[in-house]
Amino acid sequence: MAVSLTVNGDERSLNIEGDTPLLWVLRDELGLKGTKFGCGAGLCGACTVHLNGQPVRSCSTPVEMAAGGDVVTIEGLGEGSRLHALQDAWIEHGVPQCGYCQSGQIMSAAHLLASNPAPSREEIVAAMTGNLCRCGTYSRIIAAVESVVADTSDGAQGGGA
Amino acid sequence: MAMNRRNFLKVSAGASGSLMVSITLPGCAGIQTGYESDTGEWRPDAWLELTADDEVFFTLARVEMGQGTYTGLTTLIAEELEIQPERITPRFAPVAPEYRNPLYKLQLTGGSTSVATSWEPLRTAGAEARQMLVMAAARVWNVEATECRASEGRVVHPNGIDSMAYGQLVELAAKEVLRGDIALKPQSEWKYIGKQRGKLDARAKSTGTAVYGIDVDLPDMVYGVVSRPPRSGGRVRDFNADQVRAMTGVLDVFEIERGVAVVADKYWRARKAQDALKIDWDFSDAVSLSTGDVFDSYRAAADDDPGESERSEGSFASAMEEGDRVVEAEYAQPYLAHATLEPMNATAWYREDGMEVWAPTQAPDLGRIAAARVTNLGPDDITINTTFLGGGFGRRLTQDYIEEAAAVAYRVGRPVKVIWSREEDTRHDLYRPAMLHRMKASLSGAELTGWHHQIVGPQILDWYVRNAAPAQYPWAPKFMYDTLGSVGLMAEGIATPKDFSAIEGAIEYPYRVSNVDIRHTHTDPGIPITWWRSVGFSHNGFAVETFMDELAHEAGEDPYQFRRRLIGHEPRHLEVLDRVVRLADWQSPVPEGRARGLALFRSFGTYVAQVVEAGIENGAIRVYKVTCSVDCGQVVNPRIVEDQIEGGILFGLTAALYGEITLENGEVQQSNFHDYPLMRQYERPEVLVDIVASSESPTGVGEPGVPPVIPALGNALFALNGKRQRSLPLRANA
Repeated sequence: MAVSLTVNGDERSLNIEGDTPLLWVLRDELGLKGTKFGCGAGLCGACTVHLNGQPVRSCSTPVEMAAGGDVVTIEGLGEGSRLHALQDAWIEHGVPQCGYCQSGQIMSAAHLLASNPAPSREEIVAAMTGNLCRCGTYSRIIAAVESVVADTSDGAQGGGA
Repeated sequence: MAMNRRNFLKVSAGASGSLMVSITLPGCAGIQTGYESDTGEWRPDAWLELTADDEVFFTLARVEMGQGTYTGLTTLIAEELEIQPERITPRFAPVAPEYRNPLYKLQLTGGSTSVATSWEPLRTAGAEARQMLVMAAARVWNVEATECRASEGRVVHPNGIDSMAYGQLVELAAKEVLRGDIALKPQSEWKYIGKQRGKLDARAKSTGTAVYGIDVDLPDMVYGVVSRPPRSGGRVRDFNADQVRAMTGVLDVFEIERGVAVVADKYWRARKAQDALKIDWDFSDAVSLSTGDVFDSYRAAADDDPGESERSEGSFASAMEEGDRVVEAEYAQPYLAHATLEPMNATAWYREDGMEVWAPTQAPDLGRIAAARVTNLGPDDITINTTFLGGGFGRRLTQDYIEEAAAVAYRVGRPVKVIWSREEDTRHDLYRPAMLHRMKASLSGAELTGWHHQIVGPQILDWYVRNAAPAQYPWAPKFMYDTLGSVGLMAEGIATPKDFSAIEGAIEYPYRVSNVDIRHTHTDPGIPITWWRSVGFSHNGFAVETFMDELAHEAGEDPYQFRRRLIGHEPRHLEVLDRVVRLADWQSPVPEGRARGLALFRSFGTYVAQVVEAGIENGAIRVYKVTCSVDCGQVVNPRIVEDQIEGGILFGLTAALYGEITLENGEVQQSNFHDYPLMRQYERPEVLVDIVASSESPTGVGEPGVPPVIPALGNALFALNGKRQRSLPLRANA
């Protein structure tokens, strides 16, 4: 079927079976490899992207459900050459180990801050619980998110998702 | 005790008499060094490349799988080269003899050895290149080299004002000849080693631009999936090839040694076609065991065979007779999957001039052997390009996934990426072996007089030697591969070093006891196994440190005091033990509903002591806090050490709380993260990592955090409710 959707601000049209997961469309049809395949069942969060402003598991989202929608991936999170504040924090805190889950982690965190710019520790933990990390970077993730929250509440520029 | 497990197969063969290979030459061409005038590139050695454009490239021979070699090893070479690590571009190494891990004589990353084995060679390489640059500059300025110094990528004139960038000097430096050894900088002069600095791969990994194996993209690439026998050892009898071949996008469906491959133009089409695939399996040679049978077979083997003696001091039999009581306990641990977040995958392209493979692998030279096995190519015809690894943990030491991709690509003749589903990754893993331990100790009053440990289970080399042996002799003809494998096994402990995978962490029992008897009953139920983060230490740590806790209670002594009394002769053990007890405030009252447990364990040369504070909440075990003191010698990057130890703790807790692969009539019962769960963010305990300042040589940090946390948690639960758990995973309702 013909499917059109907006990805990171660009209109994209393609002809593909409607049940193809959005993940494989992003990765293989559109060349956006930053979104990762982890489990194929919405259990690990490595494939998290934003669809119409909501975090979704792209491995379990048929592309037909995203038709006409607005998709943001890790590649489109920053503005131009400027990274999202969370990405800067991730680098500053040295969050990634193997790094494979981190695109999904950052997308989940970005949605949290877009909807709640000053979350509590409990709210951060709850929002990040759907994203697995096998290397065990969880404490640095919390520290990185909290640093962005602190910067934002100090009146500094925090990136918006 | 020297730990040279995995240091196998440096045999020059010949032990069986049937194979007399006496040459120990490396099997492929080495790395070209020198200056290339066309490109302005200078390669002083196998690791460094400096260009006239003032770029510095570093060939990273230990793959980056999250453990931090990308930053850590670059820091080592940067320190002596006198340039900021951030100015160096690491590149993943091709297969070449220069890049072999000297401990294993194979090009593999594992065993928490990367920093320890690179510590001298990389600093020396950096120092030599820097010295040649300094000598070249001195010649240009007509001054003494000893009057010049190097700093931040430049050589500085004795006047302290003029300087030249390395890029300006490469052509001249290549002509310099070093005389004698170059002294390495003392610790007091380090600018980068041991300092708090960022990770060189953090940006790529925070922007989605780091390329993992699964991200490899090639022109005209197609996708492969493989259906493997649901029971190990099963074979394909027949399948509905015609029906599947007719499906949308399907290019081919065919049998390979490991199952049935479906190749399609898109991954999702390959998966849908695979759903329609009906395979008639022949299970006549397949595994038919269930988990209970495995442990029954272990118990029968243990009864039947006391095992090979691995360490014996004094007389345990006399200690039992003379002591006033004997304590006995049996411990059991299940099979465990690796669950790297990036599922197994590899991309291969067969062309007339050979085969090129792109893969996230911990052992690219073994990958070549695996690909050679299933093609008519020799290892030298196969190029392996290594990518970032989305986790390794030992899984990617075994090259089955490269073997499959090579077999598929060999038939298809265009680039093929073979991706495993999570379910396939879980069910067709090679597991941390299930193990059984029979422990006995004799006591006289509160004195521990005898220690007996019988380890029951398989050893990993039996499963690994098949590719490891030929990888050491890549020039050997393929018909000799199996012979090399069997020679390696037959000669184990004689011509080849011993396989310590079953007994490591048991034979180094560090406490002062006069009568010690440690044995291994070797029995293998035929379930595929491989290395798993901390390997034998992962199960022996649980048995040894839980039993020590039992004995402390039996002796009526505080578990800390009991251990302390028996470890006084080991200063580094003692130091981490005392520190962790102080930091965790061991003696202080615990909040209501919580208890503390302790474990002390050395692995990979690194000393670790941990205190776990845990409780049971709403019918589930809850870990509140883990305090950890670690002595890993000198630290290259403190942040990475903290990360690795904390990561190891969460890895160990995941195993302790959830880890269990079970079999039913030979079929693995788990498939994805709902039934093989990993610890999630909300369950994360507070972790405090305390690093002992040291001037000892650096030791491993990737694995040593794992073993002690499992017994420390079990010991905490015993302190909480008085129920001793001797099998894993731990249960809230034990």
